[in-house]
Amino acid sequence: MASNAVASQTGRKKVAMHDGFLKHAGFRWLKISSGIMLVCIISYIFIDVSPRHNGGSWYGYTLGTIGALLILWLTMLGVRKRAMTSGSWSLKAWTSAHIYLGLSLIVIGTLHTGFQLGWNIHTAAYVFMMIVIISGIFGIYFYATIPDKLSDNRDEMTETEMLENLRSLDRQLHESAQPLSAEHATLVLQSLEQDPFGGGFMRRISGRYPDCATRIAQADLRRERAYQPKMGGDDPLDKVDALLEKKEATLARVRRHLRLKAMLQVWLFIHVPMTFALIGSLSAHIISVFFYW
Amino acid sequence: MTFIVRQIATTADGREIVRSNPFDSDQIGIGRSTENAIHLPDLAVNPDHATISKREDGHIVVESTSGQNFTLDGKQRVSVTIDPADGAELGFGGHVIVVGEEEGQILFTVKRVEALSDSAEDRSESTLYTLEGLLPGKRMSAWGFVALVLAAFLIWPIYTWATYRGVEERPDQFHADTMWSSGALSQAHHSLEGDCQACHVDAFVTVTDKTCLTCHEDDAHDHAKPNRLLTARGGPEGFEKIGAAFASAFNKPPGRCVECHTEHEGAGAMEPTAQKFCADCHEGMDGRLTDTKLENASDFGLEHPQFRPAVLQKPGGKNPPRKRISLDEKPTEYNGLKFPHDMHLSKTGGVAQMGRRLSAKYDFGPSLVCKDCHTPDPKGVRFEPVDMQEDCSMCHSLAFDEIGGTIRTLRHGEPDMVRADLRAYYRSTRPTRPINLGGMKRRRPGGNNDVRVASDYARAVQFRPSRANLAISEVFSRGGACFDCHGVTPPTARGRVDFGIKPVTQTDRYMHKGWFSHEAHNDEDCTSCHTADTSKDARDLLLPGIKTCRECHGGEFQATSDVPSTCAMCHDYHADEGAPWLMKEQQKDKRKKPDKKIAQR
Repeated sequence: MASNAVASQTGRKKVAMHDGFLKHAGFRWLKISSGIMLVCIISYIFIDVSPRHNGGSWYGYTLGTIGALLILWLTMLGVRKRAMTSGSWSLKAWTSAHIYLGLSLIVIGTLHTGFQLGWNIHTAAYVFMMIVIISGIFGIYFYATIPDKLSDNRDEMTETEMLENLRSLDRQLHESAQPLSAEHATLVLQSLEQDPFGGGFMRRISGRYPDCATRIAQADLRRERAYQPKMGGDDPLDKVDALLEKKEATLARVRRHLRLKAMLQVWLFIHVPMTFALIGSLSAHIISVFFYW
Repeated sequence: MTFIVRQIATTADGREIVRSNPFDSDQIGIGRSTENAIHLPDLAVNPDHATISKREDGHIVVESTSGQNFTLDGKQRVSVTIDPADGAELGFGGHVIVVGEEEGQILFTVKRVEALSDSAEDRSESTLYTLEGLLPGKRMSAWGFVALVLAAFLIWPIYTWATYRGVEERPDQFHADTMWSSGALSQAHHSLEGDCQACHVDAFVTVTDKTCLTCHEDDAHDHAKPNRLLTARGGPEGFEKIGAAFASAFNKPPGRCVECHTEHEGAGAMEPTAQKFCADCHEGMDGRLTDTKLENASDFGLEHPQFRPAVLQKPGGKNPPRKRISLDEKPTEYNGLKFPHDMHLSKTGGVAQMGRRLSAKYDFGPSLVCKDCHTPDPKGVRFEPVDMQEDCSMCHSLAFDEIGGTIRTLRHGEPDMVRADLRAYYRSTRPTRPINLGGMKRRRPGGNNDVRVASDYARAVQFRPSRANLAISEVFSRGGACFDCHGVTPPTARGRVDFGIKPVTQTDRYMHKGWFSHEAHNDEDCTSCHTADTSKDARDLLLPGIKTCRECHGGEFQATSDVPSTCAMCHDYHADEGAPWLMKEQQKDKRKKPDKKIAQR
């Protein structure tokens, strides 16, 4: 029985369909990366470099070379990601390696400096590297947490459906607003004409849209009608009001979706350009060292 | 029929549906309200926006009734007159009305041109939910950063370098290549901070000794011949090979000044030479530099040869011959003097007694001690040579005559003068006159005695000057003042008295390759290192061996020893006659520190 249970357990493990880039292959790259970091730290402590640790000792050169090659390899993910394959060198394996080896660069790079930092290009390269890594850590965090939220928010709607939903509401609003007076129609028109995807980066990432025309239209209409007696019958404004409320709910969902998607992407807008700044300053760092040898 | 209104609607799949309605009236309305002939389901349009009326001359007048504008060929208008034959385009909200004529009738073609709402417009869904357009593109900013970084951090500094090639001294301003500096320069080189090219002359060529020697022409002599140095150091081992591979791959020859004198390690004084640097060569050196006379040394506490002082071979002359002999061989040294230390330091006996008797005058203690004869030099490092007048003559008097209370002494160091003085003394003085030659004589029976005394005295007076030779001989011979301390050369011929004094050489420093300061060891008794109190012979070399030093001094890493000592405590790479650099630095530090204050209770 017991052996059966074990067998079935391992069997289940093997066929586990989805483990993310973090857990890939039983945290293989986390283990490798931890090993690298440990070796670096221990050797840093125990290897006696005279007069003291810095990037110019043999140990410093070794760490520097490893670090520079690692940076170039990590950058290659940008090329590699455009070709999805499976297997042990699958894109997922690459991503997993990218993350954990990238994190090990904190240790390799920092030890390479020998903690000698200053206002110079060598430290600039280090700072760029740290910016890249820290933005990457944000990326990991977002990738690990946001997809769940995205999925919850979408409620099984696709992006196309969200857009169609908005279009449909707009059409209905347009239709229902036809009998309205010019003033009321203008309010509704503002809602229709506002770009639900506009508003710039800060609105997108914060999810706050203080000038949302739909909300303004609804608020204005309600304020106006607050003390009006119910007319009974078919007041077109009732329908418009209901539609505006629906539209606002949809907009809220879309905006949450946009905000989450923005967070999924925004770190890359730092990560990628800073990687290139890093490669540039890394080149300057290496060339300058040999230039003023 | 006056007007024909043709409405064109577009279905979802892009198909156009055209509906034409004739209106037999001179005036029709335009508005959102369905009562209007031209009904525009457009929220931007007023329920009753404008009217169109036909004039007699066939022109039509379009006039806003709501006060809201409309456009004529894109221009805002409230009222216009149009010749239908010329045609025109009117704009109401998201709709356009094209005015034309068809078979004598005025035709209005109505079409929605703007989307009903913003969301209804065509959108590329692949980018709609992305940040595209909201932030500068990744590709753009990536290349931008690369260009910026390379320009600022690489091209600009290289330009600076190229600009100031061969310039003696750079102007005092910001220079871009200082951004390459990996750290502040040491205090001594601080003035070069802005002038990278003072040391880094050529591109991709390492700092050479030549640039160092531009300034350090006098104070940076070689530790040993460069090729022997390299041999002694041996090839790189283990992981060192990595560094060596980099060095040789990038044209960085070994054995340059900067290999030890590492710069850009931060402001402040340069670090003292690490013991490792010494041990790099001196540990197991005989294996690499097979013909060396030096013994291996890696650590004072663990591996350091016995001291080999430069022992005087023969006293006299300006540069008397010396030979380095290990203290293990118990070398002796004859410096031309006789001096039993034990007798002088004894707490009992004649010397001590004499000292006590003279203690009031010379501040001696109950017995003689080292300092009664040995005087430290002004820096307290070593001792002044012992001076006869200063240090010996308190007891070892050279007095030979007294005239009116003044003691006459023989001249020390001038044997000829000693002889002359003694001769003069005997020539100018008479022997003591027997009292029975005077008038107050006490008579004894018989006259012969008187005659004998008188003739004896006369003979003595006559031979008095020749007595000098005897006195001279006595002074230079056993029991005489000179002989007590000095080696004496005998006269050149029998009967002559041209005695000579053998030359004396006092050694003030035995170990020229190492440094020892007596002042630093003030807390110790002299005898804890120098066994003078048992030395019977001046030939005894009273230098302590390494064992004695090791009682307190351990190696650099022997933390348990009283004084963990690096090589640099006694040795200097670019050694001169003075103290090692490390000790000088320590002295500097001591001078800087404020006096210790006793804590208030």
